[in-house]
Amino acid sequence: MAKIELPYLLDFCTLQTEDFTRIHTFFDNLKEGRLTTTKCMKCGEILWQPRTVCPHCNADEMEWIDLPQEGKLFAFTEVIYGAPLGMEQDAPFSIGLVELENQPMSVLARIDDAHYEDLEVGQEMKLKIITLEDGRVWFRWVHKK
Amino acid sequence: MNGIEYHIIEIIYGSSNDRRKGGIEVRKVAIVRGGLAKFGVRKATYKELAQEAGNAVFDDIPNLDKKDVDSLFLGSAGPDRFAFQCYPAPLVAEQVGVQPRNLIMRTELACASGQAAMRAAYASIAAGLSDIALVMGVEKMNTPNLAEAQTTMAAVMDREWDGVNGMSAPPFFAMIMQRHMYEYGTTREQIAKVSVKNHDNSASNPFAQFQQRFTIDDVIKSVEISKPIRLLDCSGITDGAAGIVMTTEEKAKEFTDTPVYIEGLGQCNMGSLVSNLPSLTTWESLKVAFRNALDMAGKGIMDMSFAEVHDCFTISEIVIYEDSGMCEKGQGGKHIEDGNPYVGGKLPVNTHGGLLGTGHPLGATSIAQTVEVIEQFRGEVPEERYVGGEWALTHNLSGNANVHSVLVMRRGG
Repeated sequence: MAKIELPYLLDFCTLQTEDFTRIHTFFDNLKEGRLTTTKCMKCGEILWQPRTVCPHCNADEMEWIDLPQEGKLFAFTEVIYGAPLGMEQDAPFSIGLVELENQPMSVLARIDDAHYEDLEVGQEMKLKIITLEDGRVWFRWVHKK
Repeated sequence: MNGIEYHIIEIIYGSSNDRRKGGIEVRKVAIVRGGLAKFGVRKATYKELAQEAGNAVFDDIPNLDKKDVDSLFLGSAGPDRFAFQCYPAPLVAEQVGVQPRNLIMRTELACASGQAAMRAAYASIAAGLSDIALVMGVEKMNTPNLAEAQTTMAAVMDREWDGVNGMSAPPFFAMIMQRHMYEYGTTREQIAKVSVKNHDNSASNPFAQFQQRFTIDDVIKSVEISKPIRLLDCSGITDGAAGIVMTTEEKAKEFTDTPVYIEGLGQCNMGSLVSNLPSLTTWESLKVAFRNALDMAGKGIMDMSFAEVHDCFTISEIVIYEDSGMCEKGQGGKHIEDGNPYVGGKLPVNTHGGLLGTGHPLGATSIAQTVEVIEQFRGEVPEERYVGGEWALTHNLSGNANVHSVLVMRRGG
């Protein structure tokens, strides 16, 4: 992601540290190369995105579990025009919804190094973790190759 | 997706209808008349658009004294960011010259903000909290930098997990188009016909943003926005305003010989995050909203004379044909190819030109659909898109198609 010089409230990437969010562990883990989410310790539901309270059983004790970093492409697009501020200079870029391997869960992210014509439903994708200039982290998909 | 169990149909459907049929006495609600400010890229501010629509409404109801308007419901999706204006309801009240003393509120439900205002007015009038309500929708979306509007639109999605990936309305509906073509073999040409049809209808609508006709070739060769969606698959980024007056059945007769009664309401939300939706190509919450609204009115979808639905993108109208029951699942492309949703077809859809043709000033959109229903019932539209009839419905989706809202209306008088 290109350098963002916008006020915080025009910056889509959330603040990731303990001072700002109760799910900072997600970002701490991502920095270490792990894609994780929360699992409810009472009912066992695996939740996406990570939560502090379980929407199913209302329990508030969660444990962190690792998610697969590979999966199959389910749906995709390539943004040509109309990207929001802070992302205009990145266009064209692709976005895809990927069904994780061995986990009934889909995760949406940008797809790097692929145009619309390079993409097909069912293609094998893998996670790529990126670091922003200010040290924040995020994730994208790339072809598994 | 994501293994989330939604309470599809039975639970939500049953409970809301049980409530309505539970013998609670409510007042019948009528729409008197309405008016519009011209939709487009306007050389006018948010407040000026509100004045223009207010002017049109009160011009059309000459014997309504503004002092008798006791409530204001303002549908406005994002003036906080589009126009850097929070708290717009009192501001609009002052602009149009009303002093609400029973209820005043702004409703926000993204693209369905206007219908949310109508539903709030309905509830208030039915319950006896308001007698005469002004219901307005105002949106000023265009600024010198189009990316500003796109930023607000992307923040309609979950900003932290969807918007951050560049997800916004065009890429979301692009994924739906991609999946619909993949799953059902829907063709690019079939989808383009929605744009051609709706622009044909808006060509004779003086309030529409676009009064130009296009061919299938124009649509499928227009500028790429978010593949496979192209410019003519998209509704506009639009400035606009609209207003209607809603009141009781008895009072409506003082102002019009052709009141429009709201006979059915249905609304349903399932999920928020894109990856947690029940499906991309089948809109379960739409099915609930349509069934609840039509059931309340005691009608079926094909009993409608026409339908004004939320064609924010061409593919949306295709999915709406299917999930509302106008045709079988997966047959939306064939449905338009066979001529069904045209004026003169089995069930004309978007006679005013839809969002594709008239533009989509979010909060004003639903109110403009309602103005079309009023004018169709009164026979005030040009012959080439006149349908008339006794029954019609309006539908709005909002956000990433996770909320659907439907109103069923009947011509009175």
